[in-house]
Amino acid sequence: MKTKKFLLTMLSLFLLLSTVLFGCSSSSTSESKGSEKQVTLDIFQFKVEFKDQFEQVAKQYENQNPGVKINITTVGGGEDYGVALKSKFASGEEPAIFNVGGPQDVADWEAKLADLSDTKAAAQALEGTLDGVKKNGQILGLPYNQEGYGLIYNKKIFAKAGINPENIKTYSDLENAVKKLEANKSSLGIDAVFAFPAKETWVTGLHLSNVFLAPEFNSNVVNAFNAKTVEFKYGNAMKKLVDLQNKYSVQPTVSLDYSKQVEELFSTGKVAMIQQGNWVYNSIADIDPELAEKNIGLLPIPVEGFKEDSIPVGVPMYWAVNKNKDQKVVAEAKKFLDWLYTSDEGKDIVLNKFKFIPAYKGYDSSKISDPLSKEIYNYAQNGKTIGWVFMGYPTGWGMDKLGVNIQKYVSNKMTWDQLIADSKKAWEEARNK
Amino acid sequence: MRKQSLWYWLFLFPVLIALTVVVIIPFIFGLYYSFTNWNGIQSTEFVGFKHYIKLFQDGEFLHSIWFTTKFAIASVFFINFFGLILALIVTQKLKTSKIMRTIFFMPNLIGGLILGFIWQFIFIKVFAGIGDLLHVEGFRGWLSTTETGFWGLVILMSWQMAGYIMVIYIAYLENIPQELLEAAEIDGANSFQRFRHITFPLVAPAFTVSMFLTLSNSFKLYDQNLSLTGGGPYDSTQMVAMNIFKTAFSENQMAYAQSKAVIFFLIVTVISLTQVYFNKKREVEM
Repeated sequence: MKTKKFLLTMLSLFLLLSTVLFGCSSSSTSESKGSEKQVTLDIFQFKVEFKDQFEQVAKQYENQNPGVKINITTVGGGEDYGVALKSKFASGEEPAIFNVGGPQDVADWEAKLADLSDTKAAAQALEGTLDGVKKNGQILGLPYNQEGYGLIYNKKIFAKAGINPENIKTYSDLENAVKKLEANKSSLGIDAVFAFPAKETWVTGLHLSNVFLAPEFNSNVVNAFNAKTVEFKYGNAMKKLVDLQNKYSVQPTVSLDYSKQVEELFSTGKVAMIQQGNWVYNSIADIDPELAEKNIGLLPIPVEGFKEDSIPVGVPMYWAVNKNKDQKVVAEAKKFLDWLYTSDEGKDIVLNKFKFIPAYKGYDSSKISDPLSKEIYNYAQNGKTIGWVFMGYPTGWGMDKLGVNIQKYVSNKMTWDQLIADSKKAWEEARNK
Repeated sequence: MRKQSLWYWLFLFPVLIALTVVVIIPFIFGLYYSFTNWNGIQSTEFVGFKHYIKLFQDGEFLHSIWFTTKFAIASVFFINFFGLILALIVTQKLKTSKIMRTIFFMPNLIGGLILGFIWQFIFIKVFAGIGDLLHVEGFRGWLSTTETGFWGLVILMSWQMAGYIMVIYIAYLENIPQELLEAAEIDGANSFQRFRHITFPLVAPAFTVSMFLTLSNSFKLYDQNLSLTGGGPYDSTQMVAMNIFKTAFSENQMAYAQSKAVIFFLIVTVISLTQVYFNKKREVEM
């Protein structure tokens, strides 16, 4: 009796374990069988805005190259791509192609990054766009595209108020225009001049601060990355712009977020100006196609004492290839990126489907489709740009330190001098670790 | 006896395996990593108590502990208060009591993240609308100051958890012998006296369970915090779990975040055990 029970126990234990173990092993065998015949490219990328178009393009590539299978995973928008990427790697399912943002990411992920200097795309990349991903003579990433931002304004409201945007060349011009708009708020039918999203610390802590910190680092992201200290040389100019946007904004700004700023207020004509970039075009077009097509323009963010007529243009993210993958996969990944950016078919996709501002040579720029991108491209052609240095800030400094301090400042919990001192200190601490 | 213990271990086996793999082993690893310079990928150096010394000087972390404690006190009070009131209402033999139980329990079925976004809409849009309509300043600008963020979280949490706690109270309330209440009534006790001297002591075991659940839930709150306020404004409504997550993943200081997590674990354990000990002492056995 006793032995029978014991056997029964053992049997059930065995059954329990076997289901667990065989469950795993069967799935892994089927996977390895498949990979002998074809190459699978797992892509883990952050750009939510072009997810659908990108998936279509992947299908197109699969059809042309039998034996290649592309899996795309997109994490971005409100989600934290960096966090998701770390957990993706930690889970053991390493993607073949993923995104890095700049020098800090390159330093963090160096052990995984393949050298891409032998690709055609790297040779075609515009000058300066590869600065952030060069290391020891290697090119560790390929730019997605170029993006720019500034003060996007509603042309109709400006015309109604009798303001000619072309005459806004300096900070004081801007201030006068804002005051004029504020005075005529009710007749223009707007709630406020600006929608200043202090809740979105990337808008304040990264984008806005970039304009005022870039001159310190000579507009080069690598200089920012190597800097042990930050001076806030143009701190006063920055204060003026924070004050201007905050004072004449829809209140309360600390709980104003991106979707309220762009979709709820700007796209419906309730505010005249927002600080955003060309990526908002699609959101505006979804709500009011006419406004997006004809009535939006871009003003520079003036830095008093430096450049008052330039807009920040830079590369938001880079493609990176995982060198720990199988050689075949690495080669195929490079081939795919080359195809995407240097073949005629790819170029057409980049301009017309993705609606990117290309970061590569050999594109017909007159085909850039949306007005914001066109304007940014014009600024870039005339050399009126400021570089993007925020990817060189210490990890988390821009959003979690400076952006949060700006929230404290606009809530009157911190003076501007304290903000500068505290942010400086945090930068130094982060660098001296 | 031996046969019994074999079956005992057999049935315990799957749970023990699961607990070891997903709780105990990671916990030991975490403890170990908190003494090293682990960055999420590798650890090269043993740094001893460096992180633990640092975290007691970390103003942001201490603030988040203080905020979490205040939140836990407020929400434990309100959840149990409303939970008990709801339980008393639905045990009053009303025709609608069945449907009311379902309705009160429902918020608990919605995920924390979604609840956070729903309440964000209510606090920001609906409250502002009411404020504009009635010209009451107090309804405007919710979630844009620390105080409104705090009360927003408490309201959200009470709304979600009260129904759940209600179920526990119902179970105890329905077990109270009617004879006792009737006898008291005949002796001339009014309804408040009956509640104070009979009902209340007899539901005391429910307090132990409910307070344990609400206390540990309030301390460990993350998703509601993330979606309702996101720690804003200026990180002042950031609770400990969120502070740890941020240190680990957006500042990339994995080992330091681990040490925070260990301290957090100790705090929650000590508070929960003390509370259970004192409540157990107060319980009345029938």
